[in-house]
Amino acid sequence: MWVCTGCSCLCDDIEIEGDVIRHACRIGAGLYLNRSVARTEPLIDGKQTDIDSAIERAVEILKDSKRVAIYGLNNSTLEAQKIAMKLAEKISAYVDNGSKFGKLAEMILRKEIPSTTLENVKDYAYVIFYWGCDIHNSMPRHMSRYTYYPRGKKRQRGYEEDRFLVVVDVRKSHTAMLAKKNAIFIKSDDDRKIIREFLTALEGGIASGDVLRVVKEIKKSDFNVIFGGGGLIEGLGNELEEFVRFVSNVGYFIPTDYRTNSMGFFKSLFEAGIPKANLEDLLIDEAVDTAIIVGSDPLDSMPFDVAKKLAKLKLIVIDPKVSFTSKIADVVIPSAISGVECGGRMLRSDFTEVELKPIFKSEFDDAKILKSILGGL
Amino acid sequence: MPSPMDIYKLLPKTNCKLCGEQTCMSFAFKLIKKEKKLEDCKPLFEPEFEEQRRKIEEMLKVVEKATETGLIVNEDLCIGCGNCIVVCPVHVYEDPEGAGSGFGIRLEKPILRVENGIVRVIDVSLCRRYKEKTICVACRENCPTSAIAFLEEL
Ligand code: SF4
Ligand code: SF4
Ligand code: SF4
Repeated sequence: MWVCTGCSCLCDDIEIEGDVIRHACRIGAGLYLNRSVARTEPLIDGKQTDIDSAIERAVEILKDSKRVAIYGLNNSTLEAQKIAMKLAEKISAYVDNGSKFGKLAEMILRKEIPSTTLENVKDYAYVIFYWGCDIHNSMPRHMSRYTYYPRGKKRQRGYEEDRFLVVVDVRKSHTAMLAKKNAIFIKSDDDRKIIREFLTALEGGIASGDVLRVVKEIKKSDFNVIFGGGGLIEGLGNELEEFVRFVSNVGYFIPTDYRTNSMGFFKSLFEAGIPKANLEDLLIDEAVDTAIIVGSDPLDSMPFDVAKKLAKLKLIVIDPKVSFTSKIADVVIPSAISGVECGGRMLRSDFTEVELKPIFKSEFDDAKILKSILGGL
Repeated sequence: MPSPMDIYKLLPKTNCKLCGEQTCMSFAFKLIKKEKKLEDCKPLFEPEFEEQRRKIEEMLKVVEKATETGLIVNEDLCIGCGNCIVVCPVHVYEDPEGAGSGFGIRLEKPILRVENGIVRVIDVSLCRRYKEKTICVACRENCPTSAIAFLEEL
């Protein structure tokens, strides 16, 4: 059995027989089957070199830098993330993974908001919210593997009787289309307003018909769960107090950040006591002159104006795959695909630790590369 | 998946009855249900209909892929989420610890299995529509991208 590292579901039931990979969704199968496509090679200023020289050059650049940002790490193992935190401490670097789930993740780690495991959801959950996430596309097996569809200990009668699905989103996504029998889709223009409406209804007050219907279902069970995605985070902004109250009244909250080891990143950051930075802000403020990009492609995802500033930095890219960012980097250090070519541990979206089961071996991986850089400083 | 109307539009539309049907529209219906063959429409094989015939043949390739139960998978639309596999009542009954509990299906020959990221029809003889001739639509109903369709519903 292989553990898929295509998203933070970290599905551990994947079978591989020759070139046939079973049970993994399209994202996971693609990760495995296209592993040899668009691989990086060691480069200094665009010219081929060997990996040791590339690492040496990275160390030189760091020694000459005033302020460094470390970015990415979502596809790195916990082991590699820990080394990255040590490196950050040593050179007083900013650290960011590009995810907006940081605040809620930290609240879960501090136990300020109730959370649970996906196994518990499968066994016990009745009302299941998907709020601001099109899970069918971002984490394709989430619903079939862990939440709405499978039968669990206390949920033996299947989704049509034993679960109630609530999808809240700004548009009718694929996930929303699954809200049929014993289910509801609530179109949201203002998440905070709907949360306030839920709070009123939960305390016996007046609310719209849809909200009242869901509250009636919530009261049938003491185990309900809210999965929240990027849409919800955006909708909430900085005002989390009402949301926390809402979750405490309903049951549990589990984030749905599809980035494979994003929760691992937040835990590593939390344990190291490093505050999360925001690379976009750092670029706008021109606060850094060098960035180490690990397994990520910020040049592709950032707004044009900010990306232009990124391109002006000294860039050290550690990545198994060629990306827009690697193409303009000063140094490229090829790495291994975590879970496919190197082992270690990662955290699933619900903070459950999962041991990876690599199929291939690789001489270099994020952890080893970061360690060599740290050693050279 | 083509509709009878899509096919009808390309037929000679003369209601000549040479195919044994009263109208071209009913011939179109039966083509999709695989109750008639394209060759039954003799005029369509005249040179003047060549281009239209080619188009119909292209459309019917999808129909050809339909299994004995009328279940058709459009692989381009499937993302391998596994919903269809986990909700199938036959899978739940035969493999409660595997597919019934959300895991990859453990049956050697299930009805459906995700391979290389896309659902494949492995053995349709287990499907309720085949054995018991019941109208089960669980798999189709829980595929939000409409990657699964049934012939008779088209
Ligand atoms: S849902 Fe995520 S972990 Fe599971 S098979 Fe798909 S990509 Fe891999
Ligand atoms: S029609 Fe019913 S029995 Fe047949 S494959 Fe779909 S869910 Fe299973
Ligand atoms: S056919 Fe639909 S429900 Fe089945 S795996 Fe593909 S996308 Fe999911």
